[in-house]
Amino acid sequence: MSQDDALIRLGQSTSEAIAGVLEMFAPGKITAGEVSVIPGDKHPMESVPMPAVATSVAYVDGVTGGNVFVMTLDGARNLAAAMMGMEQPEDPDAPELSELELSAVSEAMNQMMASAAIAISSVLGTEVEIGTPEPNFFTEQAAAIDAYAPTPHAVRANFTVCGEPCRLIQLVPNAFVVRMTRALDELGAEMAPPAEPAGQAGPAAVRGSVAGRPSLSGIPVRVWAELGRTRMPSAQVVGMPSGSVVELNQAADEPIDLYVNGTRFATGRLMVVDGTDWAVRIETIVSSSNTSHESQLEVASWPESW
Amino acid sequence: MARVLVVDDAAFMRKMVSDALTKGGHEVVGEAGNGTEAIARFQELKPEVMTLDITMPEKDGLAALKEIIELDPSAKVIMCSALGQESKVLESIKLGAKDFVVKPFQADRVLEAIGKALG
Repeated sequence: MSQDDALIRLGQSTSEAIAGVLEMFAPGKITAGEVSVIPGDKHPMESVPMPAVATSVAYVDGVTGGNVFVMTLDGARNLAAAMMGMEQPEDPDAPELSELELSAVSEAMNQMMASAAIAISSVLGTEVEIGTPEPNFFTEQAAAIDAYAPTPHAVRANFTVCGEPCRLIQLVPNAFVVRMTRALDELGAEMAPPAEPAGQAGPAAVRGSVAGRPSLSGIPVRVWAELGRTRMPSAQVVGMPSGSVVELNQAADEPIDLYVNGTRFATGRLMVVDGTDWAVRIETIVSSSNTSHESQLEVASWPESW
Repeated sequence: MARVLVVDDAAFMRKMVSDALTKGGHEVVGEAGNGTEAIARFQELKPEVMTLDITMPEKDGLAALKEIIELDPSAKVIMCSALGQESKVLESIKLGAKDFVVKPFQADRVLEAIGKALG
């Protein structure tokens, strides 16, 4: 998978998560639009119409990078009103947002990005955490450009919120896109959605794909890899001095087993990522019919404390 | 009917939670916008229940929860967190939180959590 493909997938799963949260705040008033990669020679804030309300949320753990949700003044005001259960904003002609309106928009961004972080976590296989939202009101392009340091990659996802055009700009460092590309490659062609026709790269297209729906993809499961097993009399175990060698039943050139919540679900090869961490490259997914009786030994249960 | 302290860094969320509680017949005795303020208000106001946001500047909800439970092991704290913070929710329950409410939430869910915490 190319880096641009990975960026588009990142943008799509984020867009879907965001649209889902926005829809709860303003039912029937949200449309998710096109997702595109912003060319490297353009600052992502260059084409943003002024004045603009921009709220940024950074990833603080798991990955690095930033997200800026940019709205028109009317869009932000209408969203805030919808979140407060009002048909119309209190003061539709005010030159700026009220403190409460700005707070509502920040909170929307907080919840949108928390939901997006789940989608990213499920692709990367690590927990992704977000920082607190930082709202900004820009009346000049130069100020908006100064406010966010450019990154090597950037993705733009368009939305219509309460009739107003809005966009999410994802500022993506190199390390993030490399990990995303690798993770998507490792998830394999089997789980990837079929190639999408150009111009239809909307968030709806990724529904049911690796990004999944937040309701299911957010459930934490225990995943562990097993190198091998053996049986021995208890007396032998307690009598074992340090330095003794325990032989396991698995040959060194055989694939190892991967378990999810106690069920053997795949076999794969042990590998090292980032030069330090163990990882498993999946070779085969075990079909559900032959998950039991495969081994002569019981499936190891995970310690309660984990 | 309970005396409740509402903690969230977003003024909007404090308003939403306070409105829901007031409509449900509870009394919002105070509000706080970060963990440090939350601990001070908790000691000063001695609320029967408090709602506590997790992601906040200065001192987050988990750190505040820990100190509050140390101050008063019987404190009734309900965590409010955005979707996707399951590990923090679990941690907060281990630390002694009574319940959690996932944002975006319905007013009924907040009232239900308060009712359960008061037992």
